[in-house]
This record gives sequence, C-alpha cells and structure tokens, in this order.
Amino acid sequence: MTKKTRMVLALSVGALIIILLLALLLLRKKAPGYEPELRNRAVDRGTDIAEFIKVKLFFFSETSVYLQPIYREIEVPVIREELYKKFVALLLAGDGGHVTPVPAGVQLRSLYFLSAKEMLVLDFNDQLSGDFPGGTTAELEFIYFMVDNLCYNFREIKKVKFLIGGNENKSLAGHIDLEKPFFPNFDWLQGE
Amino acid sequence: MKKSIKAGIFFVTLLAAPILLTSLAIDIRSFDHEGFTRVVFEAERSFSYAVQNRPDQLEVRTPGRVELRTQSLAVQNSPLLERVTQAYQEGQSIFTVFFKGPVVVKKNFVLEKPFRVVFDLMKGEKPAAAMQKSPESDKKEAVPAQESPPPALSRPKPIETICIDAGHGGEDLGAIGRSKLQEKNVTLQISLKLKKLIESRTGLRVIMTRNKDSEVSLNTRASIANNQRAQMFISIHANSSFRKSAYGSETFFVSLQATDQESLELAQKENQNLEDPGEAIKNDELKMILWNMAQTEHVRESSKLAEYIQNELNELLGTRNRGVKQAPFRVLMRTAMPAVLIETAFISNASEERKLQSEEFLDKIAFAIYNGVSKFIYYYNNLLK
Repeated sequence: MTKKTRMVLALSVGALIIILLLALLLLRKKAPGYEPELRNRAVDRGTDIAEFIKVKLFFFSETSVYLQPIYREIEVPVIREELYKKFVALLLAGDGGHVTPVPAGVQLRSLYFLSAKEMLVLDFNDQLSGDFPGGTTAELEFIYFMVDNLCYNFREIKKVKFLIGGNENKSLAGHIDLEKPFFPNFDWLQGE
Repeated sequence: MKKSIKAGIFFVTLLAAPILLTSLAIDIRSFDHEGFTRVVFEAERSFSYAVQNRPDQLEVRTPGRVELRTQSLAVQNSPLLERVTQAYQEGQSIFTVFFKGPVVVKKNFVLEKPFRVVFDLMKGEKPAAAMQKSPESDKKEAVPAQESPPPALSRPKPIETICIDAGHGGEDLGAIGRSKLQEKNVTLQISLKLKKLIESRTGLRVIMTRNKDSEVSLNTRASIANNQRAQMFISIHANSSFRKSAYGSETFFVSLQATDQESLELAQKENQNLEDPGEAIKNDELKMILWNMAQTEHVRESSKLAEYIQNELNELLGTRNRGVKQAPFRVLMRTAMPAVLIETAFISNASEERKLQSEEFLDKIAFAIYNGVSKFIYYYNNLLK
C-alpha cells in the first residue's frame, strides 16, 4: 500500500465517520414534550410564597381536527400525584372556547403513578362509560386528549391506563381496547 | 482518482468483511406450555429463512452453513416433538423438527433482541377423526364458544368465506344522532345490503356476526369469524365525535403498539422460563397474549383491504376522505384474518345523519364496500398464484 493510498484510506474513514455522525444527528427525532415553566409568586395566604407551573393544555376546536394549545398555571403541591390530579381537573373543567371531549359529569375518582412502569393510572367514575356518546372518533378523542396532554406536560409519564369505577373496562363504547395502557400519539397536537 | 476509488472499494470491503464472514450460530430450544409447544430458533443476528410445514414435520431452511450453539438436538419428554435434525444441502442448512403425531403450526413470528424465530405448535387432528362427528355435536347450537383460540395456520387459499360484522346491536345502541337515529340499525342495514351484493355477485359464502337486532360481545364477534374460518372480516359502523362539525368516512385496521410491547415482555419471560422455572409465567397469561396477537400476521393485508375500501368510499360517496387509519380495536385484534372496521359517516353530524337515513345513501355505501372487497379478493387471490 502506497503512502498516498494510506492517506486516501485514512481520509475516507474520517469522512465516513463524520457522515455517520451527521446522519445520526439529523435522523434523531426531537422528542415532543414540554417543560412546564416554574414560577414563584406570593399568594393570598399571608406571607406564603407558592410555586406555580405554567402548563400547556390542548383542547379540540370545531374548526380543526387537531388539539389546540392554551396555557394555564397550577400551584405546585408537595406530592407529585396531587399535581397530576390538578392537571386532570383542568382538563375535565374544559375551556369555554374549545371542545372538551369528555361527557358531562365525568369525574376523576383516583389517580396513581407507577414509577417502575412509568405509567399513570386514571380511575374515572361510571359516567365515563355510562354517558359516553359512542363512536370510534369520540373514543379516540377522549383517550388521546388525556394521554397526549399528560405525557406532553409530564415527561416522566410514558403511558396512561384507564379504569372506570375502579375496574378495567373492555372499551368505552365498543371500539377501542381499553384494557391496555396507551402511549401518546402526538400527531393529534397541532404544531408539535 | 482511480487509486482513491480502489481505496474506497477496499475500505468498504474491509467494513463488510466481518459481516460477510461471520457464520451464523443458532440455538434451538423448545418449551411445553398448556395446549401448545413453543420451538425457538435463536441467533445473534437476523437471518432469512423458509418454512415447509407438514403434519408430521416442520422444516426450516436458511442459506449457508449454520453452526449449532447447543450440543444436542435431543428433545426430552415433549408431548408433540420427536426429535430435531440438522442437514446441509445445496448451500442451505436444513433443520427438521419431527413430530410424534399430526401437528399444526398455530403461530410463527419473529422477535428481536436477540433475533428469534418462534413457532407455536398445537396437536392437530387426524384426518379420519376430523371427519367424524359426535352425536352431541349435532345437538349443539351453532353459537360459537366464547374466547375460543384463533384457528391454526394453514396454507393460505383463495378467499371463500367473508364475515360481515354489523356493529353494536340489542341494548348496545351505538352512537345516536340528534334525530335519534341509532347506529345499530344503520350498521345492520348496510351489512345486510353488503351480504346480498357479495353473495349475488361473487357466489362467496358470507357469514354475519348478527343478522337481527341482537347483542353480541366483541370477543364473540371475533370468535364467529375465526371458528367459521372466514378469510376476511369487515366490521361496519357509523361514527360519532365530540366535534359536531366532524364528517366523512374512514377505514381502520388494527394498531398493535401495546401488543408489540407485550410480546417483547413475553419474549423476555420466555427466556427466563428456560433458565429459571421459578419465574415461569402463567399459561393463561401467555395464551391470552397469543390470542390478542391473532391479527399480527394479517396487518399488511388488512392495511391493503382498508386502502381498497377507503378508495371506493371516496369515489362513490363524495364525502370527506378521512383516510385509512390505525387504532387498537378490540374486535379486530382477535381476528385471525385480514380485518377492517369502516366508519361510514358521522351520525353526530346533522347533515350526515340525514344521509344515513336515506336508502340510496346506504346502497351507495354497501356498493362502495363491495367494490373494495372485490378488488382485494382479486389482489389476494393473485398473491397465491
């Protein structure tokens, strides 16, 4: 092997490594997600300074098939699960100008996070299945409204499982399998 | 310049050499579960393989010489397996699993990390015994058993039987429109029209999961299709959304995201099983996972079927094309055949609810689905030639 060939070979190796690194960087998909902004501010409880986070909530609108973002602030409780509860309460309460894909009267009974499985379990009252309007799209709208909002704002949540009245349910209205946990599908979120 | 090209070729060859020269080492093992036996071919890297299946043996061929990691191919105390042999012929390594009696391959799938080709084998029926009917069997109603396992795989044959599933029924009304139109009635009307079209124009056998206003569970719907050896499953629905403006038609086939994850977890457990019997998983759990995976082998065909039907719906209905989509439908997951769920129009949309009350619109839907089904039959049967 001549000196020139060795040089060409060395250059080829170098170029190949650079190309591979660039390709890896380009192909690496940016994981969607949001880091809620933390703010300290005084509250009307004497001299207490409370911590608040700014969360990004997504709701449906009549004019778009995608979930639209709005911002809200939540006071941060000591227990993390209490924060999730406050967040779900915001989702259930809805937003005047948007469509909330949840039947009226639906409430969260309880919620717990299984850290080993990175899974949040949501237990709703019986109104969820009893008053569900039916339809595949409505089921998907409810499921991904909950799953995408939670997984987008809290990165430690990787999947969400639904219970109704404390029990596993086969489906909400006869279509989507509700016994398995759901991973987020951020295709539902506009601009994400 | 020429030198640099030569150097490049040399370099690429140098990179590829370890891959080309690495011989394939395979480990073969078997494990008996309640009701079936699992045979696993495991290798450090993926390999291509061809399978030839007979009632008395299973033959797996892979190109090139293969080194066996385990010293013995002996099978101990298996209710189904007699022995495994290895041979090398015409550039191919051939592994033959001999059975003690007639055996059918219930499942064949691939798992990653490490690469494994898995066969789930079930005791088959002797031809003579299969022909005999017990007197009790005649007395039984034609209602299929719930939760029955998906049928064993056999060589694919041209489509002869189609199962139409009219969504909802009985006390399960489905979605309800503003003018009180019930989804269960719409789906039954379209299904009956479709049945008539297929039978009269193709002569194929059409079975229904319900042909009247009766309640049938999702699992039973899949069981009916599996037990009747249907080769296509078409579930018909009318859609509903929280957004009252939503309209159009869409066709779904199953997405198996969660199931895939479970199969990976199962694969890990499968390894533990062999190494530590104390970690053995419950057979019921395993059977349930396999049952839930019945659709996995048909996803590609299901996607094609969905595409054909959706194209026809777009053309004939002139409504908004919401496209072909995937979702984890409970009724589709357990069907062991190409399967789709059609959301014909939105009953929650006032304008589409009115259309769904028109006989002409329902005829158009049935005809569009029939056209899509016909095109799929042509495509599928051609694949078998």
